[in-house]
Amino acid sequence: MTPAPYEIRGHTADVRLYASGKTREELFSHMIAGMGSIMQPALYEPRAEELAVRRELVVDGPDITVLLVDFLNEALYLSQMHREVYRFANFLALTDTHLEAELLGQEVDMFEADIKAATYHEAQVTQNKEGYFECTVIFDI
Amino acid sequence: MGHPVQGTPTKQNLVKIHDYLWEVPKSFRQDMKVPARIYASARMLDGICNDRSLWQLVNLTTLPGVYKYAFVMPDVHEGYGSPVGGIVAPREDEGVISPGLCGYDINCGVRLLRTGIAYDKIKSNISDFVTALFREVPSGVGRGGWLKLSHKELDEVLCRGAQWMVEHGYGDEQDIVYCESGGMLSGADPAVVSDHAKKRGRDQLGTIGAGNHFVEIQRIDEIFDQDAAFALGFTHGDATILIHCGSRGLGHQVATDYIRLMLHAMPKYGIQLVDRELACAPFHSPEGGQYWRAMASAANFAWANRQLIMYEVRKAWISVFGESLAAPGLVYDVAHNIVKKETYDNVKLLVHRKGATRAFPPGHPEIPGDYSRTCGQPVFIPGSMGTASFVLVGVPRTMEEAFGSSCHGAGRVMSRTKAKEIVRGQVLKEELEAQGIAVRAGSLAGLAEEAPIAYKDVESVVDVVHRAGIAKKVVRLRPVGVMKG
Repeated sequence: MTPAPYEIRGHTADVRLYASGKTREELFSHMIAGMGSIMQPALYEPRAEELAVRRELVVDGPDITVLLVDFLNEALYLSQMHREVYRFANFLALTDTHLEAELLGQEVDMFEADIKAATYHEAQVTQNKEGYFECTVIFDI
Repeated sequence: MGHPVQGTPTKQNLVKIHDYLWEVPKSFRQDMKVPARIYASARMLDGICNDRSLWQLVNLTTLPGVYKYAFVMPDVHEGYGSPVGGIVAPREDEGVISPGLCGYDINCGVRLLRTGIAYDKIKSNISDFVTALFREVPSGVGRGGWLKLSHKELDEVLCRGAQWMVEHGYGDEQDIVYCESGGMLSGADPAVVSDHAKKRGRDQLGTIGAGNHFVEIQRIDEIFDQDAAFALGFTHGDATILIHCGSRGLGHQVATDYIRLMLHAMPKYGIQLVDRELACAPFHSPEGGQYWRAMASAANFAWANRQLIMYEVRKAWISVFGESLAAPGLVYDVAHNIVKKETYDNVKLLVHRKGATRAFPPGHPEIPGDYSRTCGQPVFIPGSMGTASFVLVGVPRTMEEAFGSSCHGAGRVMSRTKAKEIVRGQVLKEELEAQGIAVRAGSLAGLAEEAPIAYKDVESVVDVVHRAGIAKKVVRLRPVGVMKG
């Protein structure tokens, strides 16, 4: 069975986001889409060509999990600075310790949820037996 | 809600110290350096053992240099590193400081104002006052404030906190007297606060944001301790105003930056932890020292923020009641996410309070003179929007067994997603208004997330700390008006 691209799951005080992907790039992009949907749910699933906002970022980390969390935190910063929500990410480079990405998104007037940060608490990028990459990240709300 | 994981204590692992205090012995897990303690009634234990709270508590006991024990207050719930309601105190000389443990909302806290007027006399104006609050206090995610600061001025705020606000006309000298630490931690250094953090916080002073932050108007509906109530200036039936907010985006980014920095630094110091979110470094290390100075800066930003919000609240008050009623006065301002340097048993400690409140007893030199001579430091325990809040005061026993601390709120029991599934914001608003509580909220979904059903019964939480003898109930406050983002 194909796992959901992303799924928002319960946490007593915060928000737990699960995401998966056939590749690491897809996992990272689904995480961005999931975080975007927490910040401002999309009224419909926009196609990449409909997203006018583009932001580039480069992140380095000691391993793939820390890289993912740091990537989300950097995207969160850009989101809040520019009042934008990102729905996709394209990758020029993605290794276990380095990424260069382009975020695609939309401008927003306000956010529905105030995400303080993506945390490392339960985060662990793993590969399931079907070969999908998976991770769960808790966001402090 | 997260399911308990391996290494989580169950009820069978708990040793009863007395009716309201339980201990997980050091022998429970090999990596524990000290025991873990839980302030709770027997009835609360099932709920506490139901998620990852106790696993997270036990993880606190593994920190290098941890002193005596780690513990949680009865409002404990699962967090993302420390449980919310957690307190741990590593030694200053050989212990660590942990940005992940302190959390992202550095110096989130509450301040309570007394109006000195009976609620019944202003009852008919409460709805207008809540509307005025909604106008004067910017709220919601992404909405900036009106105070525009230069780079230099922002750096001054990071150094001087609430004192900067008072020096610039947004309050008076008495406001500083009634803030924990005088509304300013010394040792702050804007040079170790990143540009990212400064940019995130630059336009957010005087704003309340969203989530569980609010301004609430209440009436004192029960007095438990007449002498302490008198010392705090409370009269039965009077209106009070409670402000709950923190360091906004600036504090969130400081935490993000330093957790990342310490994750990279930990191998250098040979520190290994079960949970990376508790990332830490020795206090006497370059990284530890830098975080202390950055944390103090963010804490000062939070005190400045609550001071400016109070200025806006006073402005809203005057716009409704004119100059005929005196502007509300500050009872006290307390932090509930912070690291403080405090001394217990003649040992200098770094007391990390994550969702817990300092609660010093009478006679303590760090609290205002009039409170020190009479009742002790006030502690505010906000309930949920539809229930009650409480004012407590510190008592000597908390210095002996709880690092001078008490609880901080009701404590959540239900996830935000679940609350939104079963509560409709509009229906909740109507229900609260039917109870006589005027509500102005920027987001109905946000209102539903904070529904009273998502919280523990605040009375039972407060009763535990009262009966355990680590704080004393003074008054109960019933909400009559709420504004939130």
